[in-house]
Amino acid sequence: MLREIGVTNVEELFADIPPKVRLKHGLKLPPPMSELDAKRHVKSLLSKNKPFTEMPMFLGGGVWPHYIPAHVRSLVQRSEFLTSYTPYQAEVSQGMLQALFEYQSLVAELVGLDVANSSMYDWATAVGEAALMCARVTGRKKFLVPKLMSPERLSVLKNYTSGPALEIVEIGYDGVTGQLRMDELGGKLGEDIAGVYIENPSYLGFLETQVQEIAEKTRGAGALFVVGVNPISLGLLKPPGDYGADIAVGEGQPLGNPVNFGGPTLGIFACRNEQKLVRQLPGRLVGMTTTLDGNTRGYTMTLQTREQHIRRERATSNICSNEALCAVAAAIYLTSMGPSGLREVAETCASNAAYAMKKLQKVKGLKVPIFDSPHFNEFTLKCVKPELGIETFNDRLLELGVHGGTPVQGEFPELGETAVLCTTELHTKEDIDKLVEAAAKAVEGKK
Amino acid sequence: MKYRQARWTADGSLEPLVFELGGKGRRCTFSCGKQLSETNIPEGFLRASINLPELSEPEVVRHYTHLSQMNFGVDSGFYPLGSCTMKYNPKISEELADLETATNIHPYQSEETVQGALELMYNLERSLAEIAGVSRVCLHPAAGAHGELLGMLIVRAHFKSKGEERTEVIVPDSAHGTNFTSAAMAGFNVVVVPSDSRGRVDIAALGGAVSKKTAALMLTNPNTLGLFEDGILEIAKIVHKAGGLLYYDGANLNGIMGKARPGDMGFDIVHFNLHKTFSTPHGGGGPGAGPVGVCKDLERFLPVPMVEYSKKNKRYYLDYNKPVSIGKIKSFYGNFGVLVKAYTYILMMGAEGLEAATDAAVVNANYIMRKLEEVSGFEFKYPGPCKHETVASAEPLKTEKGITARDVAKSLLDYGQHAPTYYFPPIVPEALMIEPTETESKEELDRFVDALKRISEEAHSKPEKLRSAPTGTAIGRLDEVKAAREPILSWRMYRDIKDKVVQNRGASAENET
Amino acid sequence: MEKYDIRDGLHYSREHEWVKVEGNLVRVGITDYAQRKLGDIVYAEMPEVGKQIKQIAEKKTREMELGALESIKAVSAVYSPISGTVKEVNKALQERPELVNTSPYNEGWICMIDPNALNAELGKLMDAKEYSDYLVKLG
Repeated sequence: MLREIGVTNVEELFADIPPKVRLKHGLKLPPPMSELDAKRHVKSLLSKNKPFTEMPMFLGGGVWPHYIPAHVRSLVQRSEFLTSYTPYQAEVSQGMLQALFEYQSLVAELVGLDVANSSMYDWATAVGEAALMCARVTGRKKFLVPKLMSPERLSVLKNYTSGPALEIVEIGYDGVTGQLRMDELGGKLGEDIAGVYIENPSYLGFLETQVQEIAEKTRGAGALFVVGVNPISLGLLKPPGDYGADIAVGEGQPLGNPVNFGGPTLGIFACRNEQKLVRQLPGRLVGMTTTLDGNTRGYTMTLQTREQHIRRERATSNICSNEALCAVAAAIYLTSMGPSGLREVAETCASNAAYAMKKLQKVKGLKVPIFDSPHFNEFTLKCVKPELGIETFNDRLLELGVHGGTPVQGEFPELGETAVLCTTELHTKEDIDKLVEAAAKAVEGKK
Repeated sequence: MKYRQARWTADGSLEPLVFELGGKGRRCTFSCGKQLSETNIPEGFLRASINLPELSEPEVVRHYTHLSQMNFGVDSGFYPLGSCTMKYNPKISEELADLETATNIHPYQSEETVQGALELMYNLERSLAEIAGVSRVCLHPAAGAHGELLGMLIVRAHFKSKGEERTEVIVPDSAHGTNFTSAAMAGFNVVVVPSDSRGRVDIAALGGAVSKKTAALMLTNPNTLGLFEDGILEIAKIVHKAGGLLYYDGANLNGIMGKARPGDMGFDIVHFNLHKTFSTPHGGGGPGAGPVGVCKDLERFLPVPMVEYSKKNKRYYLDYNKPVSIGKIKSFYGNFGVLVKAYTYILMMGAEGLEAATDAAVVNANYIMRKLEEVSGFEFKYPGPCKHETVASAEPLKTEKGITARDVAKSLLDYGQHAPTYYFPPIVPEALMIEPTETESKEELDRFVDALKRISEEAHSKPEKLRSAPTGTAIGRLDEVKAAREPILSWRMYRDIKDKVVQNRGASAENET
Repeated sequence: MEKYDIRDGLHYSREHEWVKVEGNLVRVGITDYAQRKLGDIVYAEMPEVGKQIKQIAEKKTREMELGALESIKAVSAVYSPISGTVKEVNKALQERPELVNTSPYNEGWICMIDPNALNAELGKLMDAKEYSDYLVKLG
């Protein structure tokens, strides 16, 4: 082959690299490993992890462990899906395109809005993109968010909105219920507000009960209403589309994707079917159409003029590669669970949380939850015993073989020594009873 | 070789939609058991119903198996998409990323319970830093464009910390669309610099384009024409002299691994595409990972947390103590599942393997270029040798026979070969951007050239066949204009339109009677 | 050489827009040549009524952009051939952007402008014959 190219050795093909930067001795990396050695190495490395299936764990906060039926994983690993590229050549990629159309459709049903894109990176970047979209649609430069929103998502939001210099303004919460302060919202809403964002259920697990009112006030000010969700909750709870959301965002990981140490995740993004919104939607969209002769239904990526490869600087987003395969997994999961299955999972998540809260409430030295509001599957736990920090509490739990929730005292110091716990359908009665028992011991300082 | 894709058809469509399948009460077998408690959620917050399909598990499996049969991956056939680096995805990576010790760990777990994950990320960072010649690497970005945005935010943070107002980012006219958008998203104005007659950045024009307003130059090297920017040292000097930063788009890193390192060329920020150079599967569009490396000076702006190692405590930990970090651009720490696969790949390849991959990728691309030079209808605007990809122009075919790059690409599908990228970069008319990668055999490359030869011949003898291609795929060419003019983006929208059609038919039927 | 439809009585810009003087206002659209080059239009981005617009010059700026026309693969800016204020936009294009393709000089008109330097600026435009020669030169 070298002869056919017209060189005597491969190095000639790199002759145009300036000698000054040409590596003389190659890369300083270990020598190649056989597949077997690599497998041993990686397995041994990962064995230093303790999977949460080995102990009762009560973490949530943006990724949540759920049961993934085995066939979801095997279907998504079929190499025609797994090793394919973005389906730009529609004729040969109807499989992926239809699977993504189904994902869009299923998300639309879940959130109660007509249009969903075929994925963003995660919930946090979806919020960022939503704020940018609100600014483009309304021409305004301020975005209102709850003070109790996830701090990680807030940080990502601020980075995403820093380019066009949008201002993020926080709305306070009621100390007893955790609910958004409507007087503060009313005071801050005005002609300069592009959008209002809430999380429902909130980062601290309670349901935002005033959603109708928030929607009305937001609409009245000419702003867009954005709601962030955990899609599993929508198996049970009223969807954002039903209570006036213009845009819904969320984390799709719990739909058929493993926790995976926080990635890959799956950003959900949906909006009402109104031309001024759809034209400003970020991300890829799969549309239904027919063959040129009109005879056969098919699918293709559409409205691409919003995207980076055509609009460049004026694109609605720079997103190119997204989380397509995770979206297909979500589609397969939702199709497999069906309405009754998803409702059952959601009910079990909520009921396990209710059971855990009831029992933990009886443990002296703890306040569970800290807010007097309905909860879904996450709730707050506060150490009110003097001098007992939440980190110490969690350490003691771990020694007793239980992994506690996410401490939030660093993020919200005014809430005190508090953590957010999560239950899903994976938790058994024994798991929760073990948590309660360990919590009681941890408070006492007993071993 | 010819290709005939599976084709499942029902009335006027291919495989039906999940909403058109199944039956009342069907679902998979997983169920939750007895509820432990009543919840305290008021009735008013509960949804009355949810319109999801009802399929049994065998029905779900059959449906998605059918769909997979109407799709095409690297495992199916040659996939020479330029700048996408569609190399073979090792299956051992899938197996390892699927271990419970990788999938069933939560990012907020106590650090002592996830030392394996932290060590893997730390090691991966070290490897990528060595490959690129940078100081630290952030593994957070979920995709290349995401990494680009991060890079641009770091550029902004850098100049803000120096109190300098720099508003412009320079991008070559051959650059990938995301470069322009990412710079704009970070609040910069984009200045485009032209390519010269050799297909490289016009250095004189670059000299004229830089100023006190220049924040950065974004460069892909080798560039999107597959040509190494041999003036890179001069380019770096010009940009740095003007006080700007140099950003490396790592899409084409496969062309220089082990030969040269972006950090050594003067790049301050280096981005990677793990789903390109490092063989993690594309997944039909994602998930990927777009880590970003930086020189020492820019380390402090990187997102939190970074993985560090404490020699004292002999453990890995997440360092959030970065006072001037820009914060976060994604929740948690990155697409860990993808990182595992890239790490496994780098382990297996080692230093020699990565360099050998580049050698083979470059030889393969040059081989195709040479062979294609002899096929009529195609020409190369820029002389070789190229690196790991080459851009052919089908302009002669268009002028002589009215056959476009799109027609060529669609015809290739009937040979069981995925089309190369076409109409990019925009500076080449009727462009076909071909990147074979190193994991293709000579026989496969010969088959590709052979297919193009036949297509060139058919352009003369049966051009209609090319214009109506592909015919061996599940479906033929689609009405994309209709898709854009009357968007149907979900089952809900489709159902509403169907109902209206039925209503209208009913109304007109009434009118007729 | 392809035969493009060119109408008498209109003024033409080098960017392939036409201008029709109608009393105190002018009507603006794109030519048959332009619609052919763009291909099937799927969306027309229209200016807002009241927008101040500048006549297209050598160096193109945003103030000269009336809007944009989208095909499935490209977006083309529409530059104004006349300076002034946008008085009316063709609402029909919202539902049926394809009118630009099927009837570029009639139903596919884009907007009406209240010109502020009509006579001077018309002088910079071409008449039908000059535009026809211009198209021949473009080849």
